Amino acid sequence: MTLQRHSVVPLARLLAVVGGLIFVASCGGSSSTPTPTPTPTPTPTNNSVDLAVNLGPTGDYVNGLFTSVEVCEPGSTTNCTTVPNVLVDTGSTGLRLLSGAVSGLSLPAVTDSGGNAVQECLAFVSLAYIWGPVVQADIHLGGESASSASVHIISESPQYPVPSSCIPTGPIGTPEDYNTVSALGANGFLGVANFAQDCGSSCAAASNGIAQYFSCPSGNCQITSVPATATKGQVWNPVALFPQDNNGVLIFLPSVAAGGAATAAGSLIFGIATQSNNALGSAQIYGVDDQAYFTTTYNGTQYSGFVDSGSNAYYFLDSSTLGGIDCADNKGWYCPASPLNITVTNTGTNGTSGSVTFTIENADSLFNTGFAAFNDLGGDSGNSLSTDYFDFGVPFFFGRNVFVGIGGQTVTGVTNAPNGFWAY
Amino acid sequence: MKTIARVLLILTLGAAPARAVLGEYESSVSLDRESMRGEDRVISAQGYKLHQITSPTGAVVTEYVSPEGKVFGVSWRAPVIPNLEQLLGSYIAPVRQAAQAQTRRHGGPLIVRASDLVFVSGGHMRAFHGSAYVPSLLPKNVSAEVVR
Repeated sequence: MTLQRHSVVPLARLLAVVGGLIFVASCGGSSSTPTPTPTPTPTPTNNSVDLAVNLGPTGDYVNGLFTSVEVCEPGSTTNCTTVPNVLVDTGSTGLRLLSGAVSGLSLPAVTDSGGNAVQECLAFVSLAYIWGPVVQADIHLGGESASSASVHIISESPQYPVPSSCIPTGPIGTPEDYNTVSALGANGFLGVANFAQDCGSSCAAASNGIAQYFSCPSGNCQITSVPATATKGQVWNPVALFPQDNNGVLIFLPSVAAGGAATAAGSLIFGIATQSNNALGSAQIYGVDDQAYFTTTYNGTQYSGFVDSGSNAYYFLDSSTLGGIDCADNKGWYCPASPLNITVTNTGTNGTSGSVTFTIENADSLFNTGFAAFNDLGGDSGNSLSTDYFDFGVPFFFGRNVFVGIGGQTVTGVTNAPNGFWAY
Repeated sequence: MKTIARVLLILTLGAAPARAVLGEYESSVSLDRESMRGEDRVISAQGYKLHQITSPTGAVVTEYVSPEGKVFGVSWRAPVIPNLEQLLGSYIAPVRQAAQAQTRRHGGPLIVRASDLVFVSGGHMRAFHGSAYVPSLLPKNVSAEVVR
């Protein structure tokens, strides 16, 4: 499957997107009312940004998918900054940036119904957490803009201490603290998952008790309710806020050879079936459930499955189930004696089924290359059958067009996937 | 296993007294029920029983109790990761160590196989899951696979 990024755009297609066109200055004039276009030869919105797989700002990140994001003070085309080394993460929702990366900007706080600045805490499956205020900013990605979007700032010097209720392992100091570039390995996350919001209706309810959104009147941080509105509310997948090309993304990464590549370069393209460069083509649609999982079947057993560009390997099954292939040097990684081929069947909630085959090689050897891009890295997902699942991480993306459909959005040619979908 | 329930979780915690249940007696389950403001459903199984605590927003924490009355396992399905210090008590120590010792893994689950604790934290944003059990407390003829 090849990606036709520069093919000639048919006039009919151009006319179809004219209604959504806006003209973007260097800093993204983010007018919210599209200007009617008098000219008969409009240019489509630039819906693409570059992706790089490299070792990242810390020099040791393997299979990190990085891009640059421009953020501006709301309504401004001059008070802007471009943040490099932002991880593109299809496993989370929303833009989250380290405070130091936007320290030159004055970004207004998102406040709760009591008028107090909203803070957010997120813990990862690794049990690390990030913590800081939610602010408003204009986000520019290529020619696309999300105006006055809620952005989570990951505080390097938090104004308020992180609430103990959101640190999974308890308040024991800083080792699980991800609030620095050295711990994060990036300047932030661009979360483009199936979910439009990072919490949804649960966090909008009064007394919701979910340890995610907080406010801190008198310095005492308590859980607060935050509406799931497009602005001045929860943190959204910025793509869902674009005036056009807002129903999902397409990620393209080239193939890499067995043994890896020093680096790789690809594209993040906004919208699905909205322009000539994001047609679904022969991709199969796999609908997800309301928790953004599909079903993966291996050797007759069904597991939860998902695709996650924020995971830097295939995390699947466990070492004992696979016959004891733990690495000697790198804990949690697979080191098979010879290349291990795995074939699974993925089944979407819409009934689509298709097989995926991938290969796992010795992670100790791969890491020793010093390369950044590998299509054959794997590690444990659980301890045994009852806890195992299939996380199709960055290696899955190499040599594929992978589409992420946002739940609740319309995509031409896609039916029966109300919670969003994967297509590849 | 198709293990992700369509549920959401609450775990609130003020200044935390020791409320842990793993390895403690069954009576400690009520402390978790109170802190979750949840409903507790008790289910009998072959060789053990379980308390399934469901929060008002639908999150589920399950606690597995041996015939001797001790909690030998816990599991969760939740929109945010619960406070594990509360759920695991003294068994949190090897989890803390492992969380700090991960090499090069990004975005993947955390798995701990310590001398007397098996722990898994997995999933993704808005849909986390995990479990922990103490091998030495497993009831006779009960598989660790029941803790899920």
